[in-house]
Formats: sequence, C-alpha cells, structure tokens
Amino acid sequence: MDVIQRLEQEIAELKDTLQMKEQELVEIKQKFLQINENSTENTKVRIGGLPKWAIERYSRQILLPDIGVQGQGRLMAARVLIVGAGGLGCPASAYLAGAGVGEIGIIDYDEVDVTNIHRQILHRERDQNLSKAQSAANSLRSINSKIKITPYSIDINPSNGLEIAKNYDLILDCTDNVPTRYMLNDISVLTGIPLISGSALKMEGQLTIYGYRGKGGDEKEQTHIGPCYRCIFPRPPPPETVGSCSAQGVAGPIPGVIGVLQALEAIKLLVGHPHTQLLVQRMLLFDGGDSTFRTVKLRPRSPACEICSDEPTITKLLDYEVVCQSQAKEKDLDLHILQSENRISAKELAKSLNAKERHLLVDVRSEAEFNMCNIDGAVNYPLEKLREKQFEELMEKIRSCTSYVTFVCRRGNDSQLAAERVLDALVGPDRSRVRDLTGGLHAWARHVDIDFPVY
Amino acid sequence: MAHPIKLQIQFGGGAELLFDSIKSRTIELPAIDKYFPECQREKWTIKELLVWMKDNLLRERPELFLQGDSVRPGILVLVNDTDWELYDELSYELLEGDTIAFISTLHGG
Ligand SMILES: [Zn+2]
Repeated sequence: MDVIQRLEQEIAELKDTLQMKEQELVEIKQKFLQINENSTENTKVRIGGLPKWAIERYSRQILLPDIGVQGQGRLMAARVLIVGAGGLGCPASAYLAGAGVGEIGIIDYDEVDVTNIHRQILHRERDQNLSKAQSAANSLRSINSKIKITPYSIDINPSNGLEIAKNYDLILDCTDNVPTRYMLNDISVLTGIPLISGSALKMEGQLTIYGYRGKGGDEKEQTHIGPCYRCIFPRPPPPETVGSCSAQGVAGPIPGVIGVLQALEAIKLLVGHPHTQLLVQRMLLFDGGDSTFRTVKLRPRSPACEICSDEPTITKLLDYEVVCQSQAKEKDLDLHILQSENRISAKELAKSLNAKERHLLVDVRSEAEFNMCNIDGAVNYPLEKLREKQFEELMEKIRSCTSYVTFVCRRGNDSQLAAERVLDALVGPDRSRVRDLTGGLHAWARHVDIDFPVY
Repeated sequence: MAHPIKLQIQFGGGAELLFDSIKSRTIELPAIDKYFPECQREKWTIKELLVWMKDNLLRERPELFLQGDSVRPGILVLVNDTDWELYDELSYELLEGDTIAFISTLHGG
C-alpha cells in the first residue's frame, strides 16, 4: 500500500511539473510567434494577407468559397469566449482551435471527474481532479500551438462577467444551468456580443443564436437582428421542470453534435456569412432518439423585451440564482427536512441490517438508476411517480408491516422528500418506523460498501 | 358550422414525459360546440386545445405543463414549425391538418 501512495504522490508532483513546463513553453512560443509575425522576413511570404504557414495549415478550409483567404484572416483575428468546458464546450472549442480562431477563452469552475469523460472529449483519464478549464486549454494547445488560449478556472458571475466578455467578439453558451444561461444572454445584449447557445440532455439537443447584431454591408451595423433569449423566454422555467445531465443522463454524442454545430455557426458568423444563413431567429432541434434534425422559425426581437428592446428595464446584471430560483452549481443541494429521529446513518443502517432487523428499503431514485445499482432487497418507488395509486400502494405496504421503513436515494435529498410525504400520511407510533438514509447511497458507498458505485 | 378536426400534436425536450412518452400523435377534436356547449366560436383555438389536452391526455401533475390558461414558462409552442407568437399564440384558430408542437427547452451541456 505504501508503494501505491508513494507512486500516486510522485505522479501528482510530476503532473504539476508537467503543467508548469507546458505553461512555460506556451509563453515562450507566444513571444516567439509575435516577434516572428512582426519580422519583415515573414511579411514577404504573406499571400493575400496570410503567412505561408497559415495558408498551408488551413488550406483545406481556405479552399472553400465559404471561407477563403479573407475568411481565414477573419478567423485568425477573432476572439471567442467559450463558457463551459463540458460536453458542448469541448467539441466546440476543439473545432475552433483547429480552424485557427486567433484567441479562445474557456471558462469552467469545475474539475474533471471520471463521469465527464464519455462526452467531454478534451479531458483524459489523467486529467481527473484537474481544473476543466486548464485541462481543456492543455488539449487545445496540443491541437493548435499557433493560437492564444486563455483558461479561466473561475465561476463566471455578475461581478466578473462583463469584464471578461468585453475582450471577445463572440460568446458560446456551453453551460448546463438556467441562471448562467440568463446571465450570458444579458451579458450578450449589454455588450452587443452575439451568443451561440447550445444545449443537450438525454437524447436531444437544441441550438440557436441570440443577440445577433448587423455587421455592416447589407446588414445595418450594430442593429439587433432576431431575438435574445429573454424575447422568447421572458420567464425562467419552474426549477422542478429543469433536468440535468447528472440526474437524467445524456448520450455522449448528443452534446458532441450540438457542440460541433456551435463551432460551425461560430465559424460562419466570424467569416461574415449573412444572418439569413445563420441560426438567427431559427432554432435547430436535434432528436438523436429517432435521428431527426428540424429547424423551426422563432419570433423576432420583442418590442417588450426586458433587456434588448429600445426601452429596457434591465440595464445591468442581476442575481440570476434568485431570479431563476435555482442554483448554477447543482452539487450544493443539502436538504434538512426530517427530524433526527427520522434519520439513520449508513453505518447504523448496516448494523441494523446485519442484526437481521427488518427494513422495508424504499429506493426512490428513477428506475434506470435503480437498475444500475441498488442495495440488496430494496424496492423501487421513483419519487416522481410516488403519487396517487403508487403512493397508496406503498402506504398500504407500510401500514400492513411492522418493520422499519427506510427511504434511500442517491445523495439523501429525495429520500427526505419521500419520507416526509409518507410521514404526513401517518399518525401515532407508525411515524417512528419511518426514516431516511442520511447522505444517501453516496454515504453508503463511503462508509459501508466501498464496492458500491458512486455516480 | 362547427365540425371536428384532425391535428398532429408533438412533444419534445422532455415534455413528452407528461404524455405517456409519446412524441407524436394524431388527435381528432370534436366539433367545438360539442365539447364546450357555451362556446360561441366555430373554430378551436390553442386555448381550448390546451383544455382538451388537460382533460384527455395529461395524466398527472398538470403544473409541469400548464400555468394559468397557457403553457408554463420554458415550453416553446410551434404551429407548423413556427413559433406560435407569430400566430396569435392562444388565439390561433386551428386548421385541419395543423401540427402543433410543444418543445421543452433544454439547459444541459
Ligand atoms: Zn430580447
């Protein structure tokens, strides 16, 4: 065991050293690149404004009339901010780095977890516990060392959002939650920077461009064309209707498809394609379940929009977690609903089960989660279906037995909601038989059964 | 004179979970005065369609789909693949063969 610990320690130190050396190399290369760009030697081999290496490197896309030499020049001068280094942000930024977008900023507060890797293609097994922004930046640099990558291992919020965004020409919304989506929309409108918004869950994805502004030529410069997020969704959805990849799952290629298409829209927008060829005032809906793409027409900019209309009522960033009644970081939820006499720790539950005390173990996770892993002998009553007939059936079971009734879920929040629902329907001594497993199956895995999967 | 009409209704983005997980179905609405005897109009609008859906298709937890007499925030309604805002929203008069889609917006990434 000592050997393992020593090796882990050594590897961690080597990782740190590697990261420092990589950073050093990036900085030296960038200095060198700048000197090289400015030298007269280099300007001699410029063709149509591009140096020889760029013509060669990007030739496959320069060949396209849709991009061309001028378009490539625009890409190389462009600065794109990618918010979220997850399932959408990884593929989106990989293609933009490959295409030679001059500067890519990538923001993520989170760290790489093994459950991310099936879809977040810039992160490797060795990147676990590393900052996602840093891990993504490392991968992007290995794709293209000629561009500037700025990782932000921070939480983008109303106090730093405008400051960061104003260094960029375009924002990609690759986030996973409602408050951040409203904030990015407001940042986009307040700064005049267009927002390419992608989202994905389970087997479906959605994509559109919000806050687009005319770019001159046939489009009047800086005028709003098409809606912003608030024009279409002036009110945030009720929190209980919002799903997440960690709770409901997602097939890896789904955000892959949407992230790649975000990159394509970004390239077209930066190259200067007119809004009629972009997903402006149109939304692409992708259903991977039946392999269909459809594009639907959206409403135009709303004259009553709270932020992008001519008389906006929102003129600065807000507290989006309050506005949306939900959290930007989903992991923090830690409910304390039940009294201590209605709770049981993982260790106590194990002891009680070992002593052959009888428990009706009610697992309230979804059927899919229950099928993935469960405690021996548990029965599955998903919380979302625990109403009416299902609820009556369970209550009947509880009333007709004398054993403990112990509710179980992943983290110990839903189990309390379920236990509370049952407690409300019980009177007298029956109430004392009902409890929930504190900390859920995560605690069970930590304190009792280390072989139990943590997801 | 009021008469029955056939429509296609579709669900996406998770809204189908409230409707037996069926993403697309053809429905036939009776003549509107049969369903709403007090109704003066001859044609169904989306407003009445929502009531009919609540009565006939929505199994449980209507608050996850409806709010007041409209859909809840976060559901995009499409009339033949176009945002219903361009079609008078609740007051849009349904036509034979229309496709009405209810798409819940996704927020994951
Ligand atoms: Zn707006």
